[in-house]
Amino acid sequence: MSTIAETASRGQTRRRMRVDGWRWAGRIFLVFMLLYTALPMIWMLITSIKSGFAATQFPPQWWPDEPTLASYQKLLDPQNSVGQDFLRFFWNSLFVSTVTTILSVIVAVPAAYAFSRFSFPGRNFLFFAVLLRNMFPAVIFLVPLFILMRVLGLMNTHGSLILTYLTFGLPLAIWLLKGFYDNIPVQLEQAARIDGATRFQAFIMIVMPLSTPGIIATAIYSFIGAWNEYIYAYTFLSKNDQLTLPVGIQRFFSENTTDFPGLMAASFMMSVPVVVLFLILQRYFVRALTEGAVKH
Amino acid sequence: MAHVVLKDLVKTYGGFKAVNDVSLTVNDGEFVALVGPSGCGKTTTLNLVAGLVPITSGDIVIGDRVVNDLDPKDRDIAMVFQNYALYPQKSVYKNLAFPLQMRKLPRDEIDKKVKEAARVLDMTHLLERKPRELSGGQQQRVALGRALVRDPAVFLMDEPLSNLDAKLRVQMRSELKRFHQDLKATIIYVTHDQLEAVTMADRMAVMNGGYLQQYDSPAQVFAHPVNMFVASFIGSPAMSLIPLEASAANGDTVLTSAEGWSLKLSRLNARKVQRATTKKVVLGARHSTIKLHKSEVSSAIPAKAFTVEPTGDVTFVQAFLSGAIVNISVSPNIAVAPDEQIWLEFDQERMHLFDGETEMALKAD
Ligand SMILES: Nc1ncnc2c1ncn2[C@@H]1O[C@H](COP(=O)(O)OP(=O)(O)O)[C@@H](O)[C@H]1O
Ligand SMILES: [Mg+2]
Repeated sequence: MSTIAETASRGQTRRRMRVDGWRWAGRIFLVFMLLYTALPMIWMLITSIKSGFAATQFPPQWWPDEPTLASYQKLLDPQNSVGQDFLRFFWNSLFVSTVTTILSVIVAVPAAYAFSRFSFPGRNFLFFAVLLRNMFPAVIFLVPLFILMRVLGLMNTHGSLILTYLTFGLPLAIWLLKGFYDNIPVQLEQAARIDGATRFQAFIMIVMPLSTPGIIATAIYSFIGAWNEYIYAYTFLSKNDQLTLPVGIQRFFSENTTDFPGLMAASFMMSVPVVVLFLILQRYFVRALTEGAVKH
Repeated sequence: MAHVVLKDLVKTYGGFKAVNDVSLTVNDGEFVALVGPSGCGKTTTLNLVAGLVPITSGDIVIGDRVVNDLDPKDRDIAMVFQNYALYPQKSVYKNLAFPLQMRKLPRDEIDKKVKEAARVLDMTHLLERKPRELSGGQQQRVALGRALVRDPAVFLMDEPLSNLDAKLRVQMRSELKRFHQDLKATIIYVTHDQLEAVTMADRMAVMNGGYLQQYDSPAQVFAHPVNMFVASFIGSPAMSLIPLEASAANGDTVLTSAEGWSLKLSRLNARKVQRATTKKVVLGARHSTIKLHKSEVSSAIPAKAFTVEPTGDVTFVQAFLSGAIVNISVSPNIAVAPDEQIWLEFDQERMHLFDGETEMALKAD
């Protein structure tokens, strides 16, 4: 009797140990991932508040002896030529990303809704065509789009970038939003239409509020995609006053080779909008992704 | 309140006919149930009346207007959905107020009507809650309330009770019936549960495969089903349908089973069988019209009890005859054991006869 009980309990302990082992392996892995992503950012932040001299010292100063915000002041000073450039790049990026986001939501919302709710000839084919775009790496389209933009006379305009980012961002935006609309019972709109709403009112008054998290997620996705994009911005734009931040910062790198704190400060400020967006809207973002995925 | 007329209503999806030539009239103040198995086109029919899906052909009249081309909002109807379709982001109060707001009623009138509906449905204390904070039964009430506040010409209900637990369903069934009597409301009520239809409706429209099978009072449908489908769908346990072959012997008409036994028909039943297009005849008998004997009786047919289910008030016995399941109800003080030899006597007055080919009920004249 007692031996059986002992064996059983030992078996249990062993199982628990195995589970614990996996759990610890998982935690250690996560810690590594965290360090892997966070350390470069922390280093970026630390370097950005060093003086140019301190930044190039070896062994490095883990914490600067004389922390300074000089780099930030320089970048944000419209009097100074570096500041002028940086602020212009920042404004360009903001403009391109915002317009891309707005257009992408304006197009994706009705498109996704139509794919979700209506059956029309060619619906499946069109939806497949929308997704087809995402099966190819973006660079494949570099040359064709370059030629297209030249034909359209859009070279060296922000319009060329906005158009390009839309072709990349829209498919996923439509797909994401469609999943969202699929999960809103059609009976809600039907009820609204019976209660006195037109089809459009039912959409605006009932469906839109319910899909806000999805729309916000879609918007964030479009914004970040446009904000970070490098290759197309690098190819389509050549005039200095039109550059977006990713390309502009890279210019810094080649023109002011030794100004590492300036570079890091610029990089940090470039990531601020994205981080802020996420912090404000992460709740919606997570909800959108889970609600879009789980049928209920 | 108003009457509703469906005239040759057809709805096709692609090549598939979901609703097939359905014609029926719902009188002013009448409670009509659309009943049939799942997928038979009940919801589609209701949605056609509501204007939620466009009709392929036919006409719909509500009150004295042909409403074919009217938007749902202009048809003066209210609808209760199976999943309630409460607006999740709105409080109960706002859910109830929504139809009134859309009709641009003054605010104080809206407030009065919402509170009145809440009082009638006994949910004044729930007005500030969101739908997800309510139980299924409470949500159901809110859905009913939202239909009620507006005082529409017709109420459309699509399986409004099917998501409730059994006990609440029975309670809501009587409340709905009460509500119909008090309001003299015209109601079209969709259900797959024949018991709901039988217990609540003034008339029931039995549907199958997109076709209207029979439209009559529950008592009539129960007593005179027009075909084998209606016969087996209405009533629980289902009517037993036994395939047999008709023949004449010594001037009498008899039904013979492939198992060897035969049943002599009364004069009236013989006349019905003569109307059949074929020799194949199906005998239909409800559980309460079959008498079970534990010893041999002339004119009773030998069978073996297969299962025995005591339910308290009655005991249901199942047996096989000619390959068909036969349900019999007996008083609980008659003890029957599975595999026991029994004899079944059919009541000639209350038996149903169907044409084996067309599956239609056979009539004497
Ligand atoms: N939008 C639609 N497209 C294609 N077929 C449909 C559509 N709506 C319903 N159907 C089909 O029509 C038939 C009747 O459906 P429905 O009216 O919902 O049945 P019920 O409510 O009686 O269960 C079903 O076979 C269903 O698959
Ligand atoms: Mg249905």
